[in-house]
Amino acid sequence: MRLIATIAWRNLFRHKGKSLIIGAILFLGALLMTAGNGVISGMDAGLQRNIVEGFCGDALLVSDQQESDNVFLEMMGKPVAPINNYKAIDSALHGMPAVAKWLPMGKNFVLALNEDGGMADGLFALGVDYDRYRAFFGDNLRLVQGAFPQQGGPFVLIPTGWRKQMGEFYGVLYTPEGQPPDTATLSPAIRKRLSEMSLRQSAVYMGMNADNSTTDVRVPVKAVVKYRSLNTIWGNFPIIDIESYRQCLGYFSAAAQTATVKQSNLDLFAASDASLDDLFGATDLVASHGGGRPAAVLGAGSLAGGREMARPAVDLDAGTYNMVLLRLRGSRVLDQAVRSLNRELEARRLGVRAVTWKKATGMIGSMAVLIKGALFVFVSFLFLIAIIIIINTLSMAAIERTPEIGMMRAVGARKGFIRWMFTAETGVLAAVFGGAGIVAGVAAVEVVATLRITSENDMVQLLFGGDTFRPLLTAPDIVLAVLQLALVTLLAVIYPLRVAGNITPLDAVSRD
Amino acid sequence: MNIIETTGLVKDYPLGKTTVHAVRGIDLAIAKGDILSIIGPSGSGKTTLLNLIGCIDTPTAGRVKIGDTDVTALDDRRVTDLRLHRIGFIFQTFNLIPVLTALENVEFPMLLMKHHSRAEIRRRAQQLLEDVGLAEYVQHRPAELSGGQRQRVAIARALVTDPDIVLADEPTANLDSVTGASILDAMREMNAKQQTTFIFSTHDANVLKYAKNIVKIKDGLIAREA
Ligand SMILES: Nc1ncnc2c1ncn2[C@@H]1O[C@H](COP(=O)(O)OP(=O)(O)OP(=O)(O)O)[C@@H](O)[C@H]1O
Ligand SMILES: [Mg+2]
Repeated sequence: MRLIATIAWRNLFRHKGKSLIIGAILFLGALLMTAGNGVISGMDAGLQRNIVEGFCGDALLVSDQQESDNVFLEMMGKPVAPINNYKAIDSALHGMPAVAKWLPMGKNFVLALNEDGGMADGLFALGVDYDRYRAFFGDNLRLVQGAFPQQGGPFVLIPTGWRKQMGEFYGVLYTPEGQPPDTATLSPAIRKRLSEMSLRQSAVYMGMNADNSTTDVRVPVKAVVKYRSLNTIWGNFPIIDIESYRQCLGYFSAAAQTATVKQSNLDLFAASDASLDDLFGATDLVASHGGGRPAAVLGAGSLAGGREMARPAVDLDAGTYNMVLLRLRGSRVLDQAVRSLNRELEARRLGVRAVTWKKATGMIGSMAVLIKGALFVFVSFLFLIAIIIIINTLSMAAIERTPEIGMMRAVGARKGFIRWMFTAETGVLAAVFGGAGIVAGVAAVEVVATLRITSENDMVQLLFGGDTFRPLLTAPDIVLAVLQLALVTLLAVIYPLRVAGNITPLDAVSRD
Repeated sequence: MNIIETTGLVKDYPLGKTTVHAVRGIDLAIAKGDILSIIGPSGSGKTTLLNLIGCIDTPTAGRVKIGDTDVTALDDRRVTDLRLHRIGFIFQTFNLIPVLTALENVEFPMLLMKHHSRAEIRRRAQQLLEDVGLAEYVQHRPAELSGGQRQRVAIARALVTDPDIVLADEPTANLDSVTGASILDAMREMNAKQQTTFIFSTHDANVLKYAKNIVKIKDGLIAREA
């Protein structure tokens, strides 16, 4: 109604102070909400891009025996269940058009043994065929020192996070074969104690087998690497060649599947393993675990002593994996895509199920949602304060205008008219100032996004969701901001409306 | 035919621990087309009585009938609509809407009625402002008008809807005698043409000249009906 609009509009200018206070609050709230959402959406998208493209694919297949979906980051979890039928899975995947590419991988908890003493520290190791890993992920690893593995054979790629951990806590410094430590990339704490460091060009990992026995393998350090983004998180995941990994975990290796190994050889291997333990001076540690039957290490002879030997050409896929990483085709919503993938997998009775990257990375995958929730609570709190201030200001305004309002009522304006007038006044304020806040927020996000701010800092990278800060606003984010603003306005106006609506004509007359 | 009837009208105001008996039982029957003056000393209850008749105050006891309607039984919305469509009010303390011009203030009740075209509303409001001698001031806001000018805007606003009843609490108190007389003349004309009922409270002897009937009240009771 034009009359209401006219009165409301002119009242905004008549009560400039009040209008500005409420307007400023609404502007700030809307700006914070929008910009905050932009940062978090950007982080979400960044995390997704960097995790999916650099660490675990869109989704991954895990064994039906695997209890938790969080196969990557469950700290106290049970070992990730083995997958022994990769060949069947592989041929099935060839017949699934939704899957663009895939990578079989081993992943489990292992202990890194310190050869100087009985010390050991646990970490998650990934077992892959390097060429395939590279084909799947491209250049997600940055070389810090050394060289990427060229041909087959055992290797470990030590991420900087783990190098730092071992250096600072155990005085063990990993360097690639035949190279001195690259001091430029070391942490200050390690650099200071460099002379005391025990330099290592190979690492020894001990895996816990399914039957509680242990096996350890020595692998040569080929390179120190850094995950291109989110190195903070992935820095504790060294990458080991799949055959060494299998030996470490007591899995069936491809070599064992290829050549039938005689029992006598097995014993031999077990013996050579024991001597390896002696060599490390960690017998007690191993013995405490080794009470069971001898470790079923197959083909360990080729590794004992850390010598690098050309392995016979074997069919790697005959051995055990823990998961198959998938990149999916098409733009379907991930959850839906994975559901339909699971129906297909179930029909084929492969004993595996698909899990989204979000579920597989637990906390990290849901971090954006968590932070978004936190921001929402924060902004809601801010809006709550805003609502209280607005309620107060508007109620005061209503009382101040009692003669005017009472007189309108006396000459025939219904309560509804008065309420609409107040709502219109607040609504215009909300639309103008809140709208400006949203627009400013969108603009800020757009501007910041074009600046392409980058960071090498690991924690900042986590917040950026990658190495570049790319805040992002989606249409739903903006719609949400508008709805929130509307809700705030509505909540703020309810009580003042009651106050204004209850002003009687008599209130106008009986005052001067 | 009586357009207004009050029976046993009582109004008490609580004031701290005591009660002020502003109106103490007034029976009044006002015929359509009357020009009635209510006179009485200050504090005798004139304003209170007008407020009760004009449905902007509710009686403590007794009833008010406007035409055939017992207004004391109506809900707020009906009473509001009744005020809008049948009653014009000129307050002792005249209130205008500060953000609207004189012209818009006069248009205000007509706009609320939603019966007339904007052009008609504008024309009528303009005419009434001319009648009260404010043709020059139509675009002024209330803050830019003198007390008497504001009073005249309020009078124009009370008349603009062509009400059946016009209640005026000391309508000429702020006006010089010439302006007052011209307004009263206009009212008398309206009364003659449209049978509009006028009820004034006043101390002004000049106003009394226009009255067809006079009611004198004292201490909230009718002292003498002339
Ligand atoms: N809202 C109120 N609360 C308490 N007492 C009131 C109220 N309004 C009026 N009164 C009292 O009621 C009595 C009648 O007041 P009213 O305003 O009707 O007098 P009046 O005849 O109009 O006087 P005046 O000629 O001075 O305008 C007075 O004693 C006044 O103090
Ligand atoms: Mg009075």
